[in-house]
Amino acid sequence: MKKVQFKSYYSQYFFLAPQLLILLIFLYWPIIQTFKDAFTMQDAFGFGSQFAGFDNFLFIFSDPSYYTAFKFTIIYSFVITLITGSIGLLLAVQANKVMHGKSAYKTLLIWPYAIAPAVVGVMANYFFSERYGLLHHLFNNLWGFNWYENVFDAYIYVIIAGSWKQISANFIFFLAGLQAIQKTVIEASIIDCKSNIRRFWTITFPLLMPTTFFLIIINITYAFFDTFGIIDTTTIGAPGSETKTLVYKAYIDGFKGLDLGSAGAQSIMMMIIVLVITIFQFRYIEGKIHYN
Amino acid sequence: MKKLISIFVLLVSFAFTSNSYSKTEIHWWYGNSGFLGDVIIEIANRFNESQDEYMVIPTGKGSYEDNMAATIAAFRAGDQPHYSQVYDAGAAIMVAQVKNGVVIGFEEMAEKYGIDVDADNYIPGIKNFYADGDGKMIGVPFNSSTCLMYANMDILNEVGIEEVPKTYEEFEGMAQKILDAGYIPLLQSHSPWIWTENFFSRHNLLMTDGNNGYDAVPTKTLFAETEAFVYHWTKVKEWYEKGWYGYKGRAWGDNQAPFTNGEAAFWFGSAASFGGMKGVLPNFTTNPIPYWDSVTGGKEYPTFIGGAANWILNGHTEEEYKGLAKFIEFMGSPEMDLYYHNMTGYAAVTKGGIELAETINFYRASPYHKAVGDQLGLEGSTIPGGYRAGNWPQIREVIYENVEPMLNGDITVEKALSNMDKGAEKLLKQFAKTL
Repeated sequence: MKKVQFKSYYSQYFFLAPQLLILLIFLYWPIIQTFKDAFTMQDAFGFGSQFAGFDNFLFIFSDPSYYTAFKFTIIYSFVITLITGSIGLLLAVQANKVMHGKSAYKTLLIWPYAIAPAVVGVMANYFFSERYGLLHHLFNNLWGFNWYENVFDAYIYVIIAGSWKQISANFIFFLAGLQAIQKTVIEASIIDCKSNIRRFWTITFPLLMPTTFFLIIINITYAFFDTFGIIDTTTIGAPGSETKTLVYKAYIDGFKGLDLGSAGAQSIMMMIIVLVITIFQFRYIEGKIHYN
Repeated sequence: MKKLISIFVLLVSFAFTSNSYSKTEIHWWYGNSGFLGDVIIEIANRFNESQDEYMVIPTGKGSYEDNMAATIAAFRAGDQPHYSQVYDAGAAIMVAQVKNGVVIGFEEMAEKYGIDVDADNYIPGIKNFYADGDGKMIGVPFNSSTCLMYANMDILNEVGIEEVPKTYEEFEGMAQKILDAGYIPLLQSHSPWIWTENFFSRHNLLMTDGNNGYDAVPTKTLFAETEAFVYHWTKVKEWYEKGWYGYKGRAWGDNQAPFTNGEAAFWFGSAASFGGMKGVLPNFTTNPIPYWDSVTGGKEYPTFIGGAANWILNGHTEEEYKGLAKFIEFMGSPEMDLYYHNMTGYAAVTKGGIELAETINFYRASPYHKAVGDQLGLEGSTIPGGYRAGNWPQIREVIYENVEPMLNGDITVEKALSNMDKGAEKLLKQFAKTL
């Protein structure tokens, strides 16, 4: 590596400034504000603001629907990670084998990734509409589907809506991961083992571990934060508050209920949860992954 | 280079043309969309054409909740509009903001800038809903609705029912017949608004302590301890199980759609809902919402005002407020009031508007419009004409969260109502801390 030295001490700050400014305004400033909101009690317009200590936190912990949202978010992110990861991997492995029209398959499978979550939600809305929804009719014929009141059915609704587009994201990364595996390794393994499936699990899959690990984190953050638009356009948290994610609950309390203190406290709780999950993953799972 | 210069010239000329508009701009934010939003724009246009000094610029911000959130965010950023439409559930929050100098009350505005419409010119029930504890009107009544019962007369004729039900007892008498004919007997679009808040007003019952918040800041709701309310939801659950009442989720439109498509006999919605049905559903009527004869002993009481009012926000110049005063005057005129009533189905809010409607025999020409005034105009209530309870948007959410598990049988009616009370109590106490 060649070492480049700046002549002036200031010029590096000059080049860093735009990026730092964006971080300050759009990241650190809101975080500070959130902390301020979480520890104060104030009315919707910001008046009557007073230090509240941990009152806002006690408030959310005494709220049964907060635990429901917590439970749902955990289940939701687990199921979405599992479904999108496995289907994405399956599709990637199959698409990688295709000889003819490779790019057509690829393009079609990647396409859904470009669709905004809210739009996906609206589309799902049509599929699950009682009046003209294809999936609603299919499930209804199978077991009497009614997501308005049945929690399990509502889960199916938001899980299908939430997974569909994320499968594409998993597909792209798995496909890239598969193509990065050296041909020589694959060829050598073919000589040693005839079984496709065994070769996949003992050679290919371990080599995909870095990608898998990356996708697990991406999928969990997706299920945590990006499914907001999907929930808002599908079940809006019903039945009860069974399909409210933590983010959606914070939004409802903060922007519909205008209770910024509670919403701020919820945001901080979410930050802590994601922090814990990420630390756990990096410490315990990443140690088992070999990048080379 | 030539291109650049011409673009520059164009931009400069644009800047000058907009400056040469010396009209004083008044910003009005609203939370209606679709047809109702178009009518708001039309009102502003008519005002702008009626004079040269001021220009009202209406901006739609989405739903009521969206507009309220946008208005608050704008205020906190020092960029608030002059006039903003805030809905019934937010009224307590807005009234409480007069003392913080966020909101200017109507009467203070009228005194300072000479609005030629007196607060007493507005219908008492509507005026009181948007008034403070001393009875001073703060919000300016605008789109005032209430919940009404829509009936599909073709279905009723087919089944052989001659009169729409006045009471829930009468409804129970005909529901099975409707169901047997293959129709959904009843749907409704807003459990917290129609079957909670307005259940209490329709039966002359207090919903919260502190006299619905008019005498003291409320600390709890009276859901579980109001026998009639427990009775009502027990019945609703029974109806749901029998198929007499169909629940289609929380979305307003999903509950309305089967009725609009001629699949349901009755639907409870807003007075302003008929616009979308006219011309789609051939033969329907608007009627007062039923009540329990056994609860009121045959008496009928008025429901609360729903919909929204416009609120004057602080922080602008005297000249702009003068213009806003002119605009409020314009909207309070009998002609504009009746125009809005006619276009949307919202109630006429001024005495002048109602008189005008009577003089021109308006209700004979359009019977749809009559029910809302009839129901709101009922007398004899001993409870206040509204409720002053903070955090109400969230309390509505709590109500919804408990209605669903109650209907599907996860929790009993008593449990659901006491859950609502518990959730509401916490939110009311939280709100009281910010006062």
